[in-house]
Amino acid sequence: MPTPFRTTLWRVLLVQLVTLVLLWLMQNHYAMPA
Amino acid sequence: MHWIEWVIIIGWLAYIIWDGVRRTRGTKNIEGYFLADRNLPWWAVGLSVMATQLSAITLIGTTGQGATDGLRFVQFYFGLPIAMVILGVTLVPFLHRAKVYTAYEYLERRFDPKTRSLTSLLFLLSRGMSCGTIIAAPAVVFSAILGWDLYWSVALIGIPAIAYTVYGGAAAVAWADVKQMYLIVAALFAIVAVLVYQMPIPIDDAFRIAGAAGRLRVFDFSFSLTETYTFWSGIIGGTFLMLSYFGTDQSQVQRYLSAKSVDEARSSLLMSAYWKIPLQAMILVIGVLVFLFYLFQPAPMLYNPRHAEQTREREPAAYAALEARYAAAVGARQTAARSASDAQHDGDAAAQRAALQQFRDRDAEVSEVRTDALATAARATGQSSRDVNYIMPRFVLDKLPLGFAGIFLSAVLAAAMSSIAAELNSLSTATIVDFYQRWFRREAPEAHYLRMGKIATALWGLFACVVATYAATLGSLIEVVNRFGSFFYGSILGVFILAMIPRVRAFGAFVGMLCGMAAVGAVSFGIPSVSFLWHNVIGAVTVVVVGLVLGGIGKPSPAGSTAPTADTA
Repeated sequence: MPTPFRTTLWRVLLVQLVTLVLLWLMQNHYAMPA
Repeated sequence: MHWIEWVIIIGWLAYIIWDGVRRTRGTKNIEGYFLADRNLPWWAVGLSVMATQLSAITLIGTTGQGATDGLRFVQFYFGLPIAMVILGVTLVPFLHRAKVYTAYEYLERRFDPKTRSLTSLLFLLSRGMSCGTIIAAPAVVFSAILGWDLYWSVALIGIPAIAYTVYGGAAAVAWADVKQMYLIVAALFAIVAVLVYQMPIPIDDAFRIAGAAGRLRVFDFSFSLTETYTFWSGIIGGTFLMLSYFGTDQSQVQRYLSAKSVDEARSSLLMSAYWKIPLQAMILVIGVLVFLFYLFQPAPMLYNPRHAEQTREREPAAYAALEARYAAAVGARQTAARSASDAQHDGDAAAQRAALQQFRDRDAEVSEVRTDALATAARATGQSSRDVNYIMPRFVLDKLPLGFAGIFLSAVLAAAMSSIAAELNSLSTATIVDFYQRWFRREAPEAHYLRMGKIATALWGLFACVVATYAATLGSLIEVVNRFGSFFYGSILGVFILAMIPRVRAFGAFVGMLCGMAAVGAVSFGIPSVSFLWHNVIGAVTVVVVGLVLGGIGKPSPAGSTAPTADTA
């Protein structure tokens, strides 16, 4: 039974969001201290 | 270069050609030759889609960009997952169920022959040219690094790709792409491992230094139509660019038309949605690691060896002065980097900050000398002296252990071949299906079209090689390739959007497309400062607006083709 496309859609957006948040955290973690 | 590196490279090329030619046995008809009998599994198509998009420029140029400019280029891909999801519910099911060979063929069914012919012609023009730049980019670098004539580099890259594409068609392209992709990813991981292993300071300190130098800055939330790499241009402009590229560019459409079913075609695109951003980030991080590596190693002042040599010969005094300044600046930066690393462990917050600030100032001085050196090189050679594309190849050849240069250069060749092969395959398909079969020879035996398909592939390959030998120095090659497409891209996307709106007729679509291209042309020449990423948005929106305004005018579209049924299950 293939995964319904709507589920896939949310999954892609969630993965995208997690990726961006990780990049954001990395950027801030290693940014020049204020 | 050591003979072992050559054995690796030649071995890889021989394997890819042998494997591609082996598949020629399966291709007896044009559906087999152009679409691999529409029978490929999703994962092979997915890897093929990724390999087609990832060109040699990505491996040599994007890593260099990571070293000089940091991670912000990754924002360019932020629209990709969104575009893939939109395509999954819209164009992919339409095109797949229509059983077409080219995306443009669908436009004739929906609108009229002239809309199909114009879009297909624009594809042939822009892709035919860009195929040349895709070969030229690595060929120029190979020539400079290995001291070869450009012809040999073009031949090394072009001939294997032409060989397996001509013989094996779409199936050979897809299965070669799978292997090329495995090699590319393996090579990238291997280089990351070596770079991390060779880093003389703890990796966490190294990243802190990179962060202080601004190399780990990903996000730029400023809204500017002139900046290419911002969050908003990536999300909005990037989505339109990726919609155009994956939805209407035959070199990508043909990949997923060869999938077994609509679901497999969608899944193949979603592979990119999941993996493209992490992969691109990893490629940029390699660049950042190379930047860090050169903080503790003698770094070339000019990465293009040919330019360095010519500048030394033609302006010896200026060159010697620059070299002295550079050595001093690099030395000071190395000391500052060591102190910054030590301060992370021994010092308090204020000391850490001061040490990082010190490093940042020394790095700015090095950049200043580099800028002067590049300006001198440009004056001495009379060419663009941008050397971003040389950073990674120089690093690999000069600094990596034996065998790695062979693996990396094979991966660069793999990336180039996989992009070229897909383009040649799609250029040939559009030539034969949209023009030869449509306008010149409507009825002929399969064997005839198959033969013509192979001839067209070979001729396009030859054309691309000729373009490549003339496309010598093109500045930032990444942007050039994208710019070629973006002139027509948005407008063609607009036509496909109109195709999905039932009340729009052929007249509106055709006039809309012309207006879209005129609008992009006007903006491109009138306000050249607007980033090319926005051209796609302008083109697509103009086409859709004009198409909707002219909606009901003209003859209705052919029966049964006006309202494709949406499928969003």
